Amino acid sequence: MGCCCSTSKRTGTPGYEEPTVLASQTPCEYHDPSLNVTVSEVEALHELYKKLSNSIIEDNLIHREEFQLALFRNKNKKNLFADRIFDLFDLKRNGVIEFGEFVRSLGVFHPNAPLEDKITFAFRLYDLRQTGFIERGELKEMVLALLHESDLELSDDMIESIVDKTFSDADINGDGKIDQDEWKAFVSKHPSLIKNMTLPYLKDITLAFPSFVVRTEIEESDM
Amino acid sequence: MREAQNDTVGTELPNTNFDVPSGVVLFGKYELKRLLGVGAFAKVYHAITVDTRQGVAVKAVSKSKVVNGGFAANVEREISIMRRLHHSNIVNLFEVLATKTKIYFVMEFAAGGELFHEVAGKGRLEEDAARFYFRQLISALKHCHSRGVFHRDLKLDNLLLDENGDLKVSDFGLSAVTGQIRPDGLLHTVCGTPAYVAPEILVKRGYDGAKVDLWSCGVVLFALTAGYLPFNDCNVTVLYRKIYRGQFRFPRWMSSDLRILLSRLLDTNPETRITIHEIYQNTWFNAGEHRYNPVRVKKSECVCAESQTGFNSLNAFDLISFSTGLDMSALFEDPNVSDSVERVVCATEPENIIERVEAVAEEGRVVVRREGNGGGAKLEGQDGNLIGIVEVYRLTEELVVVEMKRSEKGGECGAQFWKDKLRPLLLEFAGEREVPVSGDFCKI
Repeated sequence: MGCCCSTSKRTGTPGYEEPTVLASQTPCEYHDPSLNVTVSEVEALHELYKKLSNSIIEDNLIHREEFQLALFRNKNKKNLFADRIFDLFDLKRNGVIEFGEFVRSLGVFHPNAPLEDKITFAFRLYDLRQTGFIERGELKEMVLALLHESDLELSDDMIESIVDKTFSDADINGDGKIDQDEWKAFVSKHPSLIKNMTLPYLKDITLAFPSFVVRTEIEESDM
Repeated sequence: MREAQNDTVGTELPNTNFDVPSGVVLFGKYELKRLLGVGAFAKVYHAITVDTRQGVAVKAVSKSKVVNGGFAANVEREISIMRRLHHSNIVNLFEVLATKTKIYFVMEFAAGGELFHEVAGKGRLEEDAARFYFRQLISALKHCHSRGVFHRDLKLDNLLLDENGDLKVSDFGLSAVTGQIRPDGLLHTVCGTPAYVAPEILVKRGYDGAKVDLWSCGVVLFALTAGYLPFNDCNVTVLYRKIYRGQFRFPRWMSSDLRILLSRLLDTNPETRITIHEIYQNTWFNAGEHRYNPVRVKKSECVCAESQTGFNSLNAFDLISFSTGLDMSALFEDPNVSDSVERVVCATEPENIIERVEAVAEEGRVVVRREGNGGGAKLEGQDGNLIGIVEVYRLTEELVVVEMKRSEKGGECGAQFWKDKLRPLLLEFAGEREVPVSGDFCKI
């Protein structure tokens, strides 16, 4: 099997292209065999991408407001965690999620994606200041953000004790920060922590967005 | 009555314009093993997934037939319908793949082969055996009809068996793909396999999909227990006349209860033909060992009990993972039909919370199922549809988090129950913040 457009000038890293070029390309050019998804799945994802990337600004790029609109039905709703995910998806750090970035990043969320990748993604997500560690201050900041977001009220003492308890469980060497290995060990004790890193939708994405079946230009011989 | 497995109209000559040989790996994912059947414009293969070695059936359909026939919109609609049909007696659709010329439907593989072989090997089935399959067929039909999905091409060839010998109905909801619905959506094409077709279809008026399926069920039940078709003739005109007049004869070995049921199924008047509801009251249907064949819970749906018992406790990262900003599933959902979640923190005893949920459910005639290790409960309406899930987690020694997830599947009754009963209860919990014991630092 192979990609339908073997002549396409792919430059190694998906998402390396200029956005304008990207918009004119067909979805299957972003199909990378190493991603463990089929061309059809990429095409189905493209149907979703078209919807998300043209909801406010019709330019085939997902802007932060469009991402917020899709997650919260509200384009102005700010959320610490959604912001972090957007930044991680935006591999080129140019303020938009391009299709190549979308496909590559969502790959981590596939039910069949390696657990290791999911654990690493979650670590990077929670490492707010990208220091290579989850620090106590970051954990507290995230707990506060969640409580604020969901209108849950807890006394400061209570919050401190919850953060302390978690930190003392996770920070095995007691250096005041959680490193990658400590995070892996903590997640293997609490597997529910990476539940968010798996999207069952990706398993039957072709059934959820089937309009590609009529439109596809993939040649039979490429299969 | 014998045609290609899993396939559509078999009276036409097989289309030879298919060149997918066995051994080929489709889309890098499915390795074709052998051809199972050939139809008018489809071929069905047994295949295995390259990475998990799971067996699947791949149905390759010629796209030109589907698209040129104007069925494109129907194909999309039907795939969406199929995606929502989940029943232990229906062949599940896993995914769909496409090229410029073909659409590949990847489906559950029925390892037990065709029910036809079972009948052919024995000549005919004992009534008890036939009843076993018929109940499963009606159960599958009930599931689909209640969702507005009709088969329209039910025949023995579409009835397969899984590795446990249970029935699997194939091709449900794929009538456009198999070429039976006209683009205008009216069901007045002559469809279905001639011997199974209901009389009202022959007069080319619009018809009711549910009634037509029940007629076909009658033909199937007759064939299973008689060993031959009720209406059969080499001459199609003669065959149609027999169907139109409802001319058939019971073999002498058929019980009178079965004859009664068959005459009600093969009633040429769709208005007076038996309904699914009436079938469930029928004497023959309810005879035998077990009255109803309970629908088994699929293995994948079984929640394995976790090793620890009681209520799961939350750490700081668990709390964080509650954020809607981390729930990417919202990207995939229709904004109009999304489920909602609400959580409160309270100092109520976890067991007391579940008991009060159960009490409220009882008032509202809602079924409660304890989940996992008792820390959660599933709420189901009278129709078996999920209304919501309640879960209780320990946050600290005194405090718990109560989480209520509302499901859209609950429909109007579910929404009403949520609004009138569950939400007020949740707010009640939210007010219970005083720790009953002498908590000196618990001012929250």
